[in-house]
Amino acid sequence: MKVILDGKEVDAEAGRTILEVARANGVDIPTLCHVPALEPAAMCRLCTVELVEGRRSRLVTACNFPLRGEVEIKTDTPRLRKGRKVLIELLHTRCPDSVVLKELAERYGADLARFPDDNKDCVVCGLCVRVCERIGANVLALSGRGVEIRVNTSFGRTARHCIGCGACAQICPVEKIRIRDEEAERVVIVCGREAARIPLRPCSSCGKPFGPVIDLSLVMERAGEAQVPAFNLLVCPACSRRSHARRLAERHFEQYDIEPAPGGGAE
Amino acid sequence: MATAPRAAAAPSYAKKFACAGELEQYRQALIERTDPAAPRILVCCGTGCKAVGSLDLLEAMKGAVSAAGAQVRVMPEIKRTGCHGFCSRGPLMSFQPENLFYQRVQPADAEEIVRETILGGKRVQKFLYTPPGSKEPIATVDEIPFFAKQTKLVLKRVGRIDPFDINDALVHGAYKGLVKALTEMTPAQVIEEIKTSRLRGRGGGGFPAGVKWESCAKQPGRHYIICNGDEGDPGAFMDASVMEGDPHAVIEGMAIAAYAIGSDRGFFYVRFEYPLAVQTLTRAIRQAEEMGLIGENVLGTRFTFKVSISTGAGAFVCGESSALMSSLEGKVGRPRPKYIRSTERGFRDSPSNLNNVETYANVPEIILRGGAWYTGIGTERSTGTKVFSLTGNVHNVGLVEVPMGSSLREIVYGIGGGIPNRKELKAVQTGGPSGGCIPIPKKFLDINVGFGRLAEIGSMMGSGGMIVMDENTCMVEVSRYFISFLVGESCGQCAPCREGLTRMKEILTRITRGEGRPGDVELLEEIGTFTNSFSLCGLGTSSANPVLSTIRYFREEYDAHIRDKKCPSGVCKPLFYYEIDPATCTGCGLCRVKCPAKAIAGEKKKPHTIHQDLCIKCMECYKNCKFTSIRIM
Ligand SMILES: Cc1cc2nc3c(=O)[nH]c(=O)nc-3n(C[C@H](O)[C@H](O)[C@H](O)COP(=O)(O)O)c2cc1C
Ligand code: SF4
Ligand code: FES
Repeated sequence: MKVILDGKEVDAEAGRTILEVARANGVDIPTLCHVPALEPAAMCRLCTVELVEGRRSRLVTACNFPLRGEVEIKTDTPRLRKGRKVLIELLHTRCPDSVVLKELAERYGADLARFPDDNKDCVVCGLCVRVCERIGANVLALSGRGVEIRVNTSFGRTARHCIGCGACAQICPVEKIRIRDEEAERVVIVCGREAARIPLRPCSSCGKPFGPVIDLSLVMERAGEAQVPAFNLLVCPACSRRSHARRLAERHFEQYDIEPAPGGGAE
Repeated sequence: MATAPRAAAAPSYAKKFACAGELEQYRQALIERTDPAAPRILVCCGTGCKAVGSLDLLEAMKGAVSAAGAQVRVMPEIKRTGCHGFCSRGPLMSFQPENLFYQRVQPADAEEIVRETILGGKRVQKFLYTPPGSKEPIATVDEIPFFAKQTKLVLKRVGRIDPFDINDALVHGAYKGLVKALTEMTPAQVIEEIKTSRLRGRGGGGFPAGVKWESCAKQPGRHYIICNGDEGDPGAFMDASVMEGDPHAVIEGMAIAAYAIGSDRGFFYVRFEYPLAVQTLTRAIRQAEEMGLIGENVLGTRFTFKVSISTGAGAFVCGESSALMSSLEGKVGRPRPKYIRSTERGFRDSPSNLNNVETYANVPEIILRGGAWYTGIGTERSTGTKVFSLTGNVHNVGLVEVPMGSSLREIVYGIGGGIPNRKELKAVQTGGPSGGCIPIPKKFLDINVGFGRLAEIGSMMGSGGMIVMDENTCMVEVSRYFISFLVGESCGQCAPCREGLTRMKEILTRITRGEGRPGDVELLEEIGTFTNSFSLCGLGTSSANPVLSTIRYFREEYDAHIRDKKCPSGVCKPLFYYEIDPATCTGCGLCRVKCPAKAIAGEKKKPHTIHQDLCIKCMECYKNCKFTSIRIM
């Protein structure tokens, strides 16, 4: 099937989204709430493009519009540039220090001083919620309606069933989710509020806390693995590395009877 | 001796009618039992009248009639009905068969009515309706312009039958359309008939119902029939009145749709704030099921259709089709971003047909009389009638049904009785929060109300809300009001709607406080145009209409607020003050007496003055002055 993309005829497989076809053809449509691994939610609307079908033209979001027929797509018209500019200006009030938004502002000539800052520390792209549902333990959700909408845990309580995977922090486009290990606990902080707190497992060798105490079978199930792999669950990565190295050394180097370096590591 | 009350045992029916013939026999028996000349009193118990005590009135009437006992020659049947439509005159009742109309009746009046009207056969003057500007009371429903000028199709049984009694509905023709569809037509013929009628959805979008049914029927898999009874527009109560006053019309319409589309399962989605509608529907569904008019093997045919009711939590956005379906599935009521029609994949990812209450209520009559007959009502592009809830600054507030294409003049003046308090009509707002304000004196009083025409002038039909606004309405404040409503009702998931509305509300609030800045109007237009084009669902893509339409037609009012810091309509308190015109003030002293802040002083027969520091701008003096000497400055 053929579609016209910004004036050029390109091949498109039916059912692919506009964004996929555009990317495959080197056309850059800006996105904020989309990653290819997750089902599109079309919440930020930044990827809005013009779709011309016959004599009718309408605006659709590229990230989730499936191509079904031979249409024309315009991804960078004055109307779109103007809309994206306002959108960036509006979103910027929620996260004035975001690098991503600053870059977008540059690209679309947005006037970031037009609206007063709101500092909500979140652009409500919903990525953390969707990744948590997909990879994590479904801890985060969008709660509230309208202006009140925000990323939240059930009843706003600190969640205990989080698996501390950090996918939310990793995916957040405005970098407002932080994971911090405090003594024996891992804390997930979303937009400045504590969202989850889970105990860390002490290493059976050095005693220092490391990964979170979680039900691994659940993670394995999501990962599509049959069973928990046979690695040592009780030893921290550092100790694990050290003991591995020692075993290697014992197996391979002992026979050469190397003199330990003066003041060296051999106990 | 009084004859026995006429509510004598209804003819009995087998547990379920085994065929259409049995139903018709039963209906015939019911009709024969009903004497059209027998006295009946219809007490309106629609939501409006209920709110002003009509249930007490109903009980009082029953009590007073039975207290009069043997004196009554023929016991009247006292019937609880749905909304008569003339809500501003409630509580109200009508006497059949003469069609005598009483309004503003209190429970305490019951005895007098029994004594004078039922026993004495006299009309009590004080309960009769007198049109504004006239001294002649009008006695019967047919003579009152409010009723006489309407064309009742959807509302034909509303207010005439007891919504809790299926027998009453059957006497008045309920389920005749379904019988015809099941016994004489194929599903394809039903769809063809609806297409011929050119019936368009009454929920706002105006999509041709027949086309929707056809595309849904084509899909493979299990089909669902859903009725949108969410009705979230502020001030609208058309759908409520139909569900409360004639639930069987809607159930029948849905059953016909189910037969046409090939569905066996239907849902009502009714907002939580409509407990009465839930009651009437629950009862109606049970009664219809008992008679075999819905349920398994309807009237002995192979057609099966089960219906249940689901209540929403009262969110405006849940009226949007995909949000409604999410909510129905038990999920958060947020619109879905999918570019796929719900007729293909809707409720539970199955083909689903969603129509508005009024759309379904139109169906039985179309099947019965034919699509061609239906196109004879209304206009070429908008066939049939439309129910409007007429509210605001108009004499006759209530529910009105008129043919599509009626002019605003007919609705506002002919039926609505014009504007109270000798004020000027300024604008009519249609289409609910996503609609627009139509300026009246300029050019639009004779515009025909239909889908296309309203959209052309920047408003929309919406679901039928119609708010009449007089000269003391500030258009900036009106647009601020609607935007605030939407800020609270937007689901918030998509950025343009959430952020755009927030900013528009902020700017409008500033302007109404006198803090508007040059460039604000252009900024509003820019944000509004953006929000209307980049949002995800219909709420967002129409949310700026109140702002854009008021800017389009009332730009000078925005300018007055921003540039001159004046609210010419006298609404935004920081932006005006009252002054007494010394030339016309007669010094009658009425304003001085009425002023709650004691801000008015003056000697008798000499012009009075207002002390501006004390004035709270409550409008009492302005409203009461007989010489229109109070000026808005
Ligand atoms: C924000 C929003 C609110 C809506 N509210 C209602 C409503 O309360 N009742 C209704 O029937 N349709 C409502 N609609 C329209 C429905 O989405 C849908 O178009 C309609 O129910 C289809 O039925 P119809 O074709 O019979 O009109 C709403 C649409 C939007 C975008
Ligand atoms: S337009 Fe508004 S109501 Fe609709 S999905 Fe977006 S935020 Fe929600
Ligand atoms: S990337 Fe498409 S809407 Fe956000």
